[in-house]
Amino acid sequence: MALASSAWTEPTGFTGTGGREKDGVGSTKAESRGARLGRVARAVGEATRPRRYSAGALVAHGVTGRPWRPAWRHHELGSTYDAVIVGAGVHGLATAYHLARDHGVRKVAVLDKGYLGGGSSGRTSGIVWSNYLTPEGVRFYDRSLRLYGELSGELNFNVMFSPRGHLTLAHSDASLRAMRWRAEVSKLHGVDSEVVGPEEVRRLVPLADVSSRARYPIMGALYHPSGGTVRHDAVNWGYARAADALGVEIHQGTEVLAISTAGDRVTGVTTNRGEVSTPVVVSCTAGWASLVSDMVGLSMPIITRPLQAAVTEPVQVLLDAVVVSGTLDVQVSQTDRGELVLGASPDPFASYSMRGSLEFTEEVAGRVLQLMPSVAPMRLLRQWSGLCDITPDLSPIMGPTPVEGFLVDVGWGTNGFMAGPAAGQAMAELVATSRTPELMAAFDLARFAEGRLVEERDAAGVGH
Amino acid sequence: MTATARREARRLPRQPGEVIDRDRRFEITWCGRPFPAYPGDTIVSALAASGVRAFSRSSRYHRPRGILTASFHDPGCTVQVGGEPNVRGAHRRAEPGMVVSPQGVWPSLGVDLKAVSQLVGPLMGAGSQYKTFMKPVALLPAYQQVRKRLANGGRLPADPRPACYDKRYAHPDVVVAGGGPAGMAAAVAAARAGAGVMLVEEEYELGGHLRWGGPDELAALAQLRVEVESEAGIEVLTNSVVTGRYEGNWLAIVQRPAPGGPIEAGGPQAVVERLVKARARSLVVAPGLIERPYVFEGNHRPGVMLSTAVRRLINLWAVKPGEEAVVLTANSSGDAAVADLQRAGVEVVRVVDARRGGGIVRALGPARSRRQRAREALGGGLEAVLLLGGAGGVGGVELPGGERLECDLLVTAVGWTAPTSLLDMAGDRPFYDERAARFLPGGRLAEGVLAAGGIAGDGPLDQMVEQARAIGRLAAGQRGEVPASPREGHPALFRSSTHGMVDYSGDVSSRDLVAAVREGYDSIELAKRYTTATMGPSQGKLEVANAVAVVAEATGRTMDETGTTVWRPPYAPISLGALAGPRHEPVRRSPMQAWHEAHGAEPVVEGQWVRPGHYGDPEAEVLGVRHAVGLMDVTPRGKLDLKGPDVPKLLDLVYANRWAGRAEGAVGYGVMCTEEGVVLDHGVTGRVGPAHYLMSTTPAGEATVWEWLESWLQTAHPEWKVHVTPLTAAFASIDVAGPRSRQLMERVVEGVDLSPEAFPHMEVRRGSVCGVPGCYMWRLGSTGELGYEVNVPASYGLFVWETLMDRGADLGVGAFGVEAQGVLLLEKGHLMVGQDTDGSTHPFAASLDWLVELDKHDFAGRPELVGPGRGGGHQRLVGLQPLDPALVPPEPCLIVEGEATISGRVTSSRRSPTLGRSICLGLVAPHLATPGTVVTVVLPDRTRVGARVMEHRAHFDPEGVRLRA
Repeated sequence: MALASSAWTEPTGFTGTGGREKDGVGSTKAESRGARLGRVARAVGEATRPRRYSAGALVAHGVTGRPWRPAWRHHELGSTYDAVIVGAGVHGLATAYHLARDHGVRKVAVLDKGYLGGGSSGRTSGIVWSNYLTPEGVRFYDRSLRLYGELSGELNFNVMFSPRGHLTLAHSDASLRAMRWRAEVSKLHGVDSEVVGPEEVRRLVPLADVSSRARYPIMGALYHPSGGTVRHDAVNWGYARAADALGVEIHQGTEVLAISTAGDRVTGVTTNRGEVSTPVVVSCTAGWASLVSDMVGLSMPIITRPLQAAVTEPVQVLLDAVVVSGTLDVQVSQTDRGELVLGASPDPFASYSMRGSLEFTEEVAGRVLQLMPSVAPMRLLRQWSGLCDITPDLSPIMGPTPVEGFLVDVGWGTNGFMAGPAAGQAMAELVATSRTPELMAAFDLARFAEGRLVEERDAAGVGH
Repeated sequence: MTATARREARRLPRQPGEVIDRDRRFEITWCGRPFPAYPGDTIVSALAASGVRAFSRSSRYHRPRGILTASFHDPGCTVQVGGEPNVRGAHRRAEPGMVVSPQGVWPSLGVDLKAVSQLVGPLMGAGSQYKTFMKPVALLPAYQQVRKRLANGGRLPADPRPACYDKRYAHPDVVVAGGGPAGMAAAVAAARAGAGVMLVEEEYELGGHLRWGGPDELAALAQLRVEVESEAGIEVLTNSVVTGRYEGNWLAIVQRPAPGGPIEAGGPQAVVERLVKARARSLVVAPGLIERPYVFEGNHRPGVMLSTAVRRLINLWAVKPGEEAVVLTANSSGDAAVADLQRAGVEVVRVVDARRGGGIVRALGPARSRRQRAREALGGGLEAVLLLGGAGGVGGVELPGGERLECDLLVTAVGWTAPTSLLDMAGDRPFYDERAARFLPGGRLAEGVLAAGGIAGDGPLDQMVEQARAIGRLAAGQRGEVPASPREGHPALFRSSTHGMVDYSGDVSSRDLVAAVREGYDSIELAKRYTTATMGPSQGKLEVANAVAVVAEATGRTMDETGTTVWRPPYAPISLGALAGPRHEPVRRSPMQAWHEAHGAEPVVEGQWVRPGHYGDPEAEVLGVRHAVGLMDVTPRGKLDLKGPDVPKLLDLVYANRWAGRAEGAVGYGVMCTEEGVVLDHGVTGRVGPAHYLMSTTPAGEATVWEWLESWLQTAHPEWKVHVTPLTAAFASIDVAGPRSRQLMERVVEGVDLSPEAFPHMEVRRGSVCGVPGCYMWRLGSTGELGYEVNVPASYGLFVWETLMDRGADLGVGAFGVEAQGVLLLEKGHLMVGQDTDGSTHPFAASLDWLVELDKHDFAGRPELVGPGRGGGHQRLVGLQPLDPALVPPEPCLIVEGEATISGRVTSSRRSPTLGRSICLGLVAPHLATPGTVVTVVLPDRTRVGARVMEHRAHFDPEGVRLRA
């Protein structure tokens, strides 16, 4: 970090003396860690905009060997912010970015107890789609999907948005009916989504066993050509870099321990790095949403359940589309590197555990082989688990709460990553204007008390 | 000299510890050419014996890669074997006729056009993919196509042959992970203490590093082998790995074919791979140590090897790893490699001793003359280029001060990595020991997990074996002291003064990691994700310590502050086939299914069951029921037997209506809700004895409802005395429906008065049918006609069915299937859960208000149904008839208002042969539910048609006169 920042004042590169110092990674042993971080923070603070990324810049840097500027800076924790965002995942970072870009609110701190994008945003399989079942869902996710389509250019960071197509398979008349229903809702809202027959499934997914021999024969699918994948880490990094360039402070390793209130108003937060005063706290957490709400004495209708995933070793790319089967409870896609990414619905119990289970890998392997028998020799390389916060109607909770200044963007279940860009945009508008944007109005907290549930149950099952 | 003989130019004379059987030579194919091999050879050792140096190309720059570790984890030796991708060539035994080819190269390993990526190498640093190809958006798909062409894995077979994978459960007292000296000693000690032991070894033989050692080690190994073999309580699994440890010592072991083992390679029904799931009282983790590569410029070149690789090649497979070697050594393994090389006739050009301050700067490419010599040794020509893998191999080394030495082999011995994966999974966090210059277990182990051998500490062999024996006894449940393991000092060597590869499989260099840190990705997790270091097939086993060291160096933090990445399961990759195991998911069949199919029924798979769809003319089947009598096989209908004094309490809890106080023989219809107040299932329950009830569910709801009842009984009300027994398949169920059904029943039923007064609608009786005693008869009428559901013991199902058919012939009896049943239900306006309801349909929406008794104290879903706004704003399920009686809208079509306001949907839609027109059910917004309203239905082709909301949901006989006859 230290030397990376000094590089800005030494455009010719590093001119150290010894073998190692030449590479700019040395540091004075005597200097304490705290002092070092402080020095870094000051040095980094001097720079503002990062250099734009482009093919030309890549060539220039490649030829000159000049290092890139840091994508974001480290800061001392300030004493006052206009808004504090809890959680440096896609929702928190997108909210901060839009606050700064669209509304000029730049005195914003994004706090995360770990590293940026290390929670659910770093554990998602990165699949995006918008052919949901409810009009509220379709409108919201369609906005998000469109924002994803433009995100690389918008953030000047390639998030590898890949609209490779999204197929939800039907294995019975009943599920075909449900697919047709979703297709009709989507079409009415201008989202491309149609029911296709087994022959088309065979064409789109050559690996699939479309024979009638299969135990759960593929009778058709809901095809959503504009769904696909995004490189999730890149989304986090891209937002972080762009937000940082606009003056937003991202504080990693900064855990919110308490939220202070005066009466029914938020006044600040206590962190492991000190106290901060702020009139607005936005909770953009997944997995810990109910714990953060507890800090202001607010109970959220949320159950936290682990969601597991796994990847295989790479093989040559054979699978273009994202394939989901609700009947078999499996989701499979192949990365450009050739790995199969496997997922299913959340574990059927409440837990904060982030350790993968053997049972998950056995089940998911069995299911994917029912769909694609020829991948049996592929080997599982890694499994992991994340947390998702599930609400009674499988729809999020967004907006103000009874505690003034405490806003939430939580309860996204398995759909949080997909919603990130649109949620950030909407939440930023809410923070800046105190008006609830129409797009998110249906997802307010009060609906649970008033019986206005947004029922996404039939679409939101295995999609994430 | 024949070509084949020349190809074995690097095979050494017989070695004391060699594992090859020289009496049985065979051939394998590599790049389309034959190569000799012996039983015991790995693919790579056989090819290396013939001078092959390059086995793959790297993933990003497509540089040739050779042997690095000569073990399972060797990142450069992954090959395609026939239809099997990603085979670890330095581990997999060669077999006669094996067809081996390199992966992901085009057109060939020697000349790989993808290697043009090397030319733009400097532009392809870590994260470069995030910095370009962002615009124009229209070209994104093209960029994607290019990227995916560069994927480096193997190929799946185009026409997969079904392979056999299986699973096994085991319950050993002790599992020992690792069959080196410590693992063997621990296993023997545990077995001698009376424990049943499973000893799991990754390689094909027990012995670990003793196998490639000198005479003393081989003697010690022989002794340990005798000890293991003489203990009957030890089961040895070779070519197997403990790949995951979960709560309660639940262990996943991947077992691969091993000659002489429980799984043998070859044969028609050979098991390809097996998942052994073991619940062990104790787990002894003794995987030994993994030798760490050294980071320096050119460390990726074929010919740069670890000391253990050299020792394995020479001692196990009698392969001469090079001609002229330079050795960088910091430990005894390096020293032993020097001795082995000298004994094998390799000229050791220089021994650089890191303990005395020696170092190397970079590996150099070969001089032209050397390349020429190497080619001549292989017979020259294109073939030699191909075998050598181009010009990427080592030709020399540069030492500090600029001195250059020529060599074709550069050996490093710079330290070890403890593969603490299983310990991590047991809750431990390793710490960095500066003196030993490696991560060591932190000692916070879950109960029943012990570490032994090199992973835990150093020391002479005898001492390590003694310690392992003590640990083995502990594992077996005996008490005793475990001698402490000493830790030897070791120079901290991670990176030279130059940059080189850290992650070989991902082509991630230390330069990439440093750049990532500079760009802000300055924690090990971010740097790892940004560069993909440690995320490739070896999952950090080789590279994690170096990655941590480079990030630590770049950030100015210590190794311990930087930390390691979390080792997640699986430790060793395991095939999806073995994880899935053999899949047994049979389709359930009623005893009458064969009859149906013999009588022309179209089989339809519905959930777990195969059912008769129709027998040729569903409309005629409907009319048969309306005018005469029909039989339907309804065996899949769920049947739960409820016994005990507290059954009424259970029924009151799960059904929305009241159940207490019903008389014997009475039947009630009820709806169940989830806790969200959504319709879960519906059906009838009858009281058949003082404390005995029978519950029916929909076919799809059988398991759900059973689980639902059990979850309430086991979690909320364990004090209730209720036994739930699923009887679905114990009885065959036959619907006898139609105006002549009583006539038919009277001919076959004994002991039950069937008169309407004695056996009215919604009652249940027990008696004998067709001479079969113990049958239940329910008087129900879902078809809208007089009807009975007969439950007969399943073994009599076919007999009763055929008898009914026979005895009713003159009444016009006929079978009807699922299709006709759907029409009959729809004519009566009966809803089908899952079709006319969805995951959000409350009973009010399903127009089942009469079944919801909110004044009842409590029932599942009640809190959601009594809250504010409940009941009023819901959609309603109504009967609909399209204005055009000939039009049958497909299911489901949306009902809209204006351009795009969705106000409902058509849930069920059929042509009614009884009424001669189309009829529907639909969910509509409350303001559209008034009878007579004409709603707009959107057809799939976007045309809009009108449909009228009917007064009754039942399109036929709304008053229900017929079923009460």
